[in-house]
This record gives sequence, structure tokens and C-alpha cells, in this order.
Amino acid sequence: MINRRNFLTTVALGTASAAVLAACGQPSPAQTGSAENPVTINYTWWGNDDRAERTRKAIALFESKNPDIKVNGNFTDFAGYWQKRATEAAGGGLPDVMQWDLSYLRDYGQRNQLLDLSTVKIDTSAFDKSLLPSGQIRGKTYGIPTSTNAFAVYYDPAKLASLGISEPDGSWTYDEYNAFLTEVGTKSGGALFGSSDYTSVWWMFNIWLRQQNIEAFTEDGKLGFSKDDLKEWWNKVADLRGTPAIISEERITQLLPKSAFGSNATASEVTWDNFMAGYLGDSGAKELKLVPVPSDDPDNLGLFLKPSMLMVASAKTKNKDAAARFIDFMVNDPEVGQIFKTSRGVPASKTQRDGTTFEGTDKLVVDYEKSIEKYLKDAPEPPIVGFGTLEASFKRISADLNFGKLDVNGAADAWFKEAEDLIKQNA
Amino acid sequence: MTTIANPTTSVADTQAPHYNPKSETAGAKRLKSIIFHVVALAVTAVVLYPALWMIASSFKPNAEIGGSNTSLWSSNFSFDNFVTAMEGIGGVSTMTFFTNSLILALGAVVGTILSASVSAYAFARIKFPGRSMFFGMMIATLLLPFHVVIIPQYIIFNQLGLVDTYIPLLVGKFLAADAFFVFLMVQFMRNLPAELDEAARIDGAGHARIFGSIMLPLMKPALISTSIFSFIWSWNDFLGPLLYLNTPEKYPLPLALRLFVDQTQSSDYGAMIAMSVLALLPVLVFFLVFQRYIVEGVSTQGLKG
Repeated sequence: MINRRNFLTTVALGTASAAVLAACGQPSPAQTGSAENPVTINYTWWGNDDRAERTRKAIALFESKNPDIKVNGNFTDFAGYWQKRATEAAGGGLPDVMQWDLSYLRDYGQRNQLLDLSTVKIDTSAFDKSLLPSGQIRGKTYGIPTSTNAFAVYYDPAKLASLGISEPDGSWTYDEYNAFLTEVGTKSGGALFGSSDYTSVWWMFNIWLRQQNIEAFTEDGKLGFSKDDLKEWWNKVADLRGTPAIISEERITQLLPKSAFGSNATASEVTWDNFMAGYLGDSGAKELKLVPVPSDDPDNLGLFLKPSMLMVASAKTKNKDAAARFIDFMVNDPEVGQIFKTSRGVPASKTQRDGTTFEGTDKLVVDYEKSIEKYLKDAPEPPIVGFGTLEASFKRISADLNFGKLDVNGAADAWFKEAEDLIKQNA
Repeated sequence: MTTIANPTTSVADTQAPHYNPKSETAGAKRLKSIIFHVVALAVTAVVLYPALWMIASSFKPNAEIGGSNTSLWSSNFSFDNFVTAMEGIGGVSTMTFFTNSLILALGAVVGTILSASVSAYAFARIKFPGRSMFFGMMIATLLLPFHVVIIPQYIIFNQLGLVDTYIPLLVGKFLAADAFFVFLMVQFMRNLPAELDEAARIDGAGHARIFGSIMLPLMKPALISTSIFSFIWSWNDFLGPLLYLNTPEKYPLPLALRLFVDQTQSSDYGAMIAMSVLALLPVLVFFLVFQRYIVEGVSTQGLKG
């Protein structure tokens, strides 16, 4: 019935014709537009309804200021966004300008899919110098940050008040933070947990390493810390696991898709400061507050600004200048800041930040980033290829630790093995 | 009952009556029937609970969905989620998403019915050179995982300039690329008696006439099940539209649904669930309308032969 030889021939023919077709798509010379005959660039982003509405306004503003360029906007959700980009990258059809996430920058940059933005005209004079390296790989600028976020401890003041616990001021050691979590758990009689296991959060671990001046990844993409560092980290809450200080993994799973903090099951949480709107929406809380992360060295909090998203251009774009002008507009224009407020994060460019008025929650996040300004150090380089997998396995293995399936030694061994395999694969 | 010959049973008979299902009283029968229905209802409730949860949640405020809220009904009952869902996303109305989904789904049904039935007729009734080879190749495409062909297909459609049109999503349906349906119809047709075709041929009918007047009417059950599956698959397809459509005005419902839930910002679960409920309705209606014919088809098949 199935004739293998014929089948193979058919497949080979199909592949060959695809290759021929692909060869037809040679880049044509750069085009310039005019008001009567504008060039069209494609811009794509991920995000919800709210971001789509804001982006539409920003595009309309750009088009009215630049009548020679037309921007075609399109959007999908975050997970679908990367499936679509991977297919387009393989098929040579990436859009001209894209909203980008830091964890995918090195992957696409190294494969020469992204345009080196230092070769086109984009004004970066208003950017904090500690921030720009996070969009650069081996001397090439692949991404310009639109906005920043920073790590913080969230807490719900209303819940603390009802338990009679005074609000933290954010200058605390890990022992003090642990004591705070325990106090929440015991005073509420187990009705409210202190937090989810903060040692299961990769970025919190990364910050703790920075507090001791250890880089998580070396410049050549290897691990910069030892297994003992990781064991010491996971042992930080060894006494709290299984107590009301830390919510159990079973409960967290029951609460999905919402987070424990968003479901009002815990009183505090460590994460990025731009999750504020999401937490407020999920929990229905009136007010949430932000304080810096704990540190045993009060002068070194290990904090940094991370680009919450970047703007990149496709290496194959036929309209480099138009793409550059659009990126420049999106990151620098004060009116764009006014449109987005903090929905992308706190605007990275000073001109955009100064041109925006922040109120309510927005102001809280901006004020937090201002309050930690003196502690900020250089942002880490773009994460290594496959970082997303490492971050996920860090969380998964920590969960096993909380389930009691692994002890700290076994967990550290398991994570190191996965990390070393992955780094070897991508080397 | 041969046990009458056994003397021990006669002793037993005097002590207690033998269990005999036929001699059961009407009361016991009713009890059994009640137990059966209660168990059946309980199982149905378990199976249908997710649907019930979805419908109940669509009337809840966002903050009360999921998380630590375990009650099914909320005291804050409202239609707000449906209002939000119908407002659309990023300036595109929800009706546009519905229309797009309908165009794609009906296009898929029409295309699959036309192309798969013709191809199946060829495979089942016409002897042509290489028939078994082509049939084998068609079955081989069933074994090919979809993910293997994504990128080559994308490259072809991209170079042809067909990305961001419905053509990549529909052209395969009109070319009988869904081997599953072709196979289904071939199997169905092989079971139809060949004498019918022969009789028609004697009366002077050609292939077109035999196909149109004899085969198609007899294949109604297969056509109906193909329509139902083809409709539901196309209606729920996410990856195809995700890869091939760029303009939000062309998005079908599954893409739009995802836009309410965004891990990087706030998620509107309420609106997403409300829209899921709405998105479910056409599939449900489609199924209810055609389900009758499936049962009909099975029973006519049973009469045959």
C-alpha cells in the first residue's frame, strides 16, 4: 500500500519547491514614502484589549505626525505571540517592528533575525545608562527598552491592619522578612498565609546573588554561582515550609489560574512592580503597597531596572528608516507616555517619563522606582538562550521541594543537571 | 431449572425463597430504576460540571472567579461580563469575530464535503492506475504530525503572498487535504452495495450521475458526521488562524478569546468566560440540528443487508 520510495520522492520534491520559492524573496532596495504615497510598516505586539486600545491611539498619533508612513498594527496573546514569531522567523516573514520580551532577545539576536538598531537613527540620550546594556548583545543593539520594572515586595495593608501587624518599611534582612511571614501566618490562625515560597522565584534568587556580588551568568553564558549557593538559598525558608508562613503547593495549584496573592490567600508576594494592576484586578483589594526586597547588606539591595519590554526591528525589513522613526517615537515621545501611562511599565526614557502625569496606582509604581534609585546597579545582560526553560525548571523543582518530593540537596542536584545540560546544548 | 431434581434445594425452599429476578415485586423494580437514574444523573452532573461552572462564572464579577472562591453562584449576579465581551477588542467588534469564525467554519464544511466525497468516490469506485499508491499516500498524511508541515507550509503561503488571507486556512479543505474525512467516506462507500452502481450503469448512467444520484443520497450519514466534525474543528482551531492571520479584523473567535487573558497584564476572566459561553452556542446549535441525522443514519444502516 504505502510505497516508501514514492512517498520520499514526494516529500523531497515538496521541500525542494519550498526552497526555490524561498529563494525568490530577495530583499528589494529601501523604499521611501511621501504623504501621497506612504510606505507601510507592520507593527505587532502582545497584550490585552486595553493595550490594543492604547496602541491604536499611539499609532494614530504617529501617523498624523508622519504622514509619509502608515503603520499596520496587529496583536495576539503572549503565548501565541511567540509561536507565531518562531514560524515567521523560519519563514522569513517577521513584521518590521515588534514589541519584544527580554528573554527572547538573545535567541533571535544571535540568529541574526533582528536589526542592529545602532545602525539607524534612534535617540537614546534620555535613557538611563545602566539600562541600555540589557538590549545589547556582543556590542550590537538589538532592542530599545520602552519601559522598566523592578523587583519588590507587595503587601496588602488592609490585611495587615486587620491582624494588628504594623506595615513594613522595606529595610529588612531575610530573617526579619521570615519573621514577618511567620507573624502573619500565626496571628491569622492559618486563615491567611504569609506569602508563597519566595525562594522559588528565580529573579529573587538572582537578586540575592547580586547582593553578594555574584553574577548569575558569566559573560560566556555559563553559571556564575555554585551548587552550595543554591542550597543555601533554598535552605533560607527550610523552617517555614509546611507552616502557615508559606502557602502550600497544593493550595497554590487549587487557586490556579490566579496567583495566591491575587486570590487573597497570602498577605505578601515578591515579584515585579508592574504586576500591580493585575493583582488589584484579581484580588479586588482597595490598595496594595510596594517595599524593597530584603537584604542582609543594607547598602546593597541587588536591585536593578529590567526592561519590561523592548522595541526591536526585523533584520529583513525593507523600511529601516521608517521602522527607526516609529521605534524612536514609541520610546521617546511624551504623548506616547501619556497614552500608555504605566501599562507597559514605567517609561524608560526620561523625556517620556517627565511628559507623563501619573496618578493612583501608576504613581505608586513610579514612586517605588524613584525610591530605590540610589540602590540601582547595572541591569544584567540579556538572559542566555533557553533561559525561559531554566526559569520554569527553577520553579518546578522548588515546587517539588515544597511538596516534599525532594530535599534541598536533591533539588539543587536536579536543577544543576538540567541547567548544565541546557547550557551544553546551546553552546 | 434443573435443580428441582436435587433434594437439597427442596429443603432450602422451605427455609427461604430462591432469588428469582422474574418474581421481583414492582416496588423493587422501581427502586432499581430510581437508583439507576440517580447514579446516571450524578455521573452526568460530574461530566457537565465544568460547563455549569463556566456558565455560572460568566455572571460573576472578575474578582470572584477562580482563586479561593469556591461557591458556584455569586450574590453579585450581573450581565456585565457579556456587555464587556460584546464590546469587542481594540476597536474590532465581537460580531466581526463571530462572522469570521462562521465564514471559516462554513467554508471548511462546504469545502470538505465537496472535495472529500468526490475523492472518496474515486478511491472507492473507480479503478485507476496507482490507486492503492495514492490511497496509501493519503493515509500517510494522517500519520504526519501537523507540526512537521507548519514551517514549509508557511513558507509556501508567505512566498505566494497569501498570508493574512483566508486562503491558507481554506484551500486545503477544498482540495481534500483532510485525509481523515476522505478515509471515513471511502470506508462508508465500500459498504454500499456495488449492485446499485451496476444497475445504474446498465441504465446508462456515467460516473457523475452515479455519484450525484446514487452515492450522495446514500452517504447522508457520513456527510453529516463529516460536517459536524469539520465545523467544530474549524470553529475551535487556534493555531492555523494564529499563524496565517495578521489583521485583527480578520481574527476568528479563538484568537479573540485569548486576548482577554494576558499573563503580563491584568486578565479579564469574566469577559473571557462570557465570550466562551457565547462561542459555544453556535457549535451547540449546529450539533443539536444535525445530531438527529446521525442517529437516523445509524438506524438506516442497520436496516440494510
